[in-house]
Amino acid sequence: MPKNHGLRILIATVRVPFVNGGAEIHAEGLCRALREAGHRAEIIAIPFKWYPPERIVDHILACRLLDLSETVGVAVDRLIGLKFPAYLIPHPRKVIWLLHQHRQAYDLWQHPLNDLNRYPNGDDVRAAIHRADCELIPQARRVFANSRNVAGRLERFCGLLATPLYHPPRDAALFHSRPAEDFLYFPSRINPLKRQDLVLEALPKTRLPVKICFSGSAEEAAVENKCMALMRKHGCADRVQWLGPVSEEKKRDLYARSLGVLFPPIDEDYGYVTLEAMLAQKPVITCADSGGPLEFVIEHQTGIVAEPTPEALAAAMDNLWEDRERARRWGEAGRQRYDDLGIDWSHVVEKLLA
Amino acid sequence: MKVLVVTSGVPFIRGGAEILAENLCQALSSAGHAAELIFIPFKHYPPSRIPDHILACRLLDLTESCGVRIDRMIGLKFPAYLIPHPNKAIWLLHQHRTAYELWDHPIAEDLIHYPDGPVVREAIRQADRELIPEAKTVYAQCRNVADRLRRFCGITVESLYSPPADASLFHSGSSGDYFFFPSRVTGVKRQLLVIEALARCQERTMVRFAGEADSPRELAACVEAIRQLKVEDRVEWLGWISEEQKRELYANCLGVVFPPADEDYGYITLEAMLSSKPVITCSDSGGPLEFVVDRQTGLVADPTPESLARALDTLWAGRRGAVAMGQAGRARYADLKISWDNVVEKLLC
Repeated sequence: MPKNHGLRILIATVRVPFVNGGAEIHAEGLCRALREAGHRAEIIAIPFKWYPPERIVDHILACRLLDLSETVGVAVDRLIGLKFPAYLIPHPRKVIWLLHQHRQAYDLWQHPLNDLNRYPNGDDVRAAIHRADCELIPQARRVFANSRNVAGRLERFCGLLATPLYHPPRDAALFHSRPAEDFLYFPSRINPLKRQDLVLEALPKTRLPVKICFSGSAEEAAVENKCMALMRKHGCADRVQWLGPVSEEKKRDLYARSLGVLFPPIDEDYGYVTLEAMLAQKPVITCADSGGPLEFVIEHQTGIVAEPTPEALAAAMDNLWEDRERARRWGEAGRQRYDDLGIDWSHVVEKLLA
Repeated sequence: MKVLVVTSGVPFIRGGAEILAENLCQALSSAGHAAELIFIPFKHYPPSRIPDHILACRLLDLTESCGVRIDRMIGLKFPAYLIPHPNKAIWLLHQHRTAYELWDHPIAEDLIHYPDGPVVREAIRQADRELIPEAKTVYAQCRNVADRLRRFCGITVESLYSPPADASLFHSGSSGDYFFFPSRVTGVKRQLLVIEALARCQERTMVRFAGEADSPRELAACVEAIRQLKVEDRVEWLGWISEEQKRELYANCLGVVFPPADEDYGYITLEAMLSSKPVITCSDSGGPLEFVVDRQTGLVADPTPESLARALDTLWAGRRGAVAMGQAGRARYADLKISWDNVVEKLLC
């Protein structure tokens, strides 16, 4: 029997009730991969609420009080911590695979959308989060990060090193490619951090009759309304398809038929959209401050890295629109790059349990 | 409504409580609510871990999510039902039993052996006494659990019964030549007592046991007893069976044997009633006594091999009486109006 066969493994993450996002997909993907590799794996999802700020400290303490070292006298062989503050749960054989830290206390501290810095005790809570991370993350036997971007932040803010470890998007094998039709595709939750608004500001600045298809659900109606207002203001509603939430199958079909993919978020941790575009052999337009996507998009080989301005984005869109043959080649090069990176679950499992 | 069902348990272990929590979520969704399950891991040893977990639960905040109010929290198991919420209902599955009625029980005791056991027991009791009344609504899953809460904590609540999983799939077939005893094989379910009773029967009674053993040791104890008492040819040991097989075995048995030590609730009694079968239980079995009417829907024996043997003989020799008791049990189930609709209505009002 191979070493490390049939381990009992717990995946520690947090959840925000009634919100289902990328982090859940990630934990479930990992759980499935561990089971397929012959282990017993379960997800422990601790509820998390980050406001008012003192609740964050409460939740850190709650996690520190839990005991996942064994169950009814039988050892839990490994704890894999993913999200703050669940990755702080103590365990003698812990591995952290950092999805992200509590970003409002780090890279998003100064961000206009942050609310932590608006509370009187925001500074204190931020310091407590920093201290908890700096002192407790090193208790893990190994620390991996979801991406180079996340590892970079951990080093910059906490002086701690982590190894980037990439994983595939859900149902990676089902992505496919078809000849390009007349639209660029932007799949993402409708959210200020994803910057649908920036793309809508860019659209009227294109020289060519570029069309864009947006899909994804809006967490707040106000954000969606702002996008609608922008379309009306610029009179470009006829060049936009606004689909709202679509099924996974429909999403893959839209990827397959698109000319290219738009994904210009603000400092994304990782970003499945980039990888899905590569799987569908499509070039990606992203921004110089987009974070995760920059680890994958190679300028003028698999896509375009634009400045985060409407003008630069408009130029990038025109660029793909006017030379479809080149867009196709970049898309194929993206797929090649995905394959070269060796992103698959069995590799992830091997690294996490090594 | 947005409803969170909150429970605790031991990772990797799935039992009746976990199934009940999922069924409750399902029932809430069917009734048009958004329902999710929150599972807080719990480790009860060494005893000092128990106050840690109580505190962890008290620190969690489930009042809202991303600015949207959570309308109701429903707490099921200790210590998760202690999580604060302004609109909390508790549907008490059970308290931490080794701090209460199982404190010095020879089959299940645990806390009593630690130097800090008495202190932790007091902390648990204090937490329950002071914090359970924070909930707006408190029900117990059965009268047995409600009685314990009153006896130990002085809190009076009503009981609220739930149907077993897939209640509508149970049916009745013929009255076969065997008793059926489905349960996890473990001390508190008392398979050993039934094996000893078999050896004392006047009739050539037969019992089919189904269910997995909690540990190899408990299985070995049963196998050894069967051999020593020479009842090999009167016992069938089925181990794990599918739900469908289980329903078939219920449907075609003469009666169901279910004599656990102070069971909280016990779906087996209800499943037997749904299958129109009489139930043999014991006078100290707890939950089943809320349903079995002695000599009308089954027999309540003393927890001794002799008394249990007499009960087995009675049904075996009086088959027509057994069939009639089974039918009376089915009628009683219908009278009790046990349904998920009722559970949802009570927990949300």
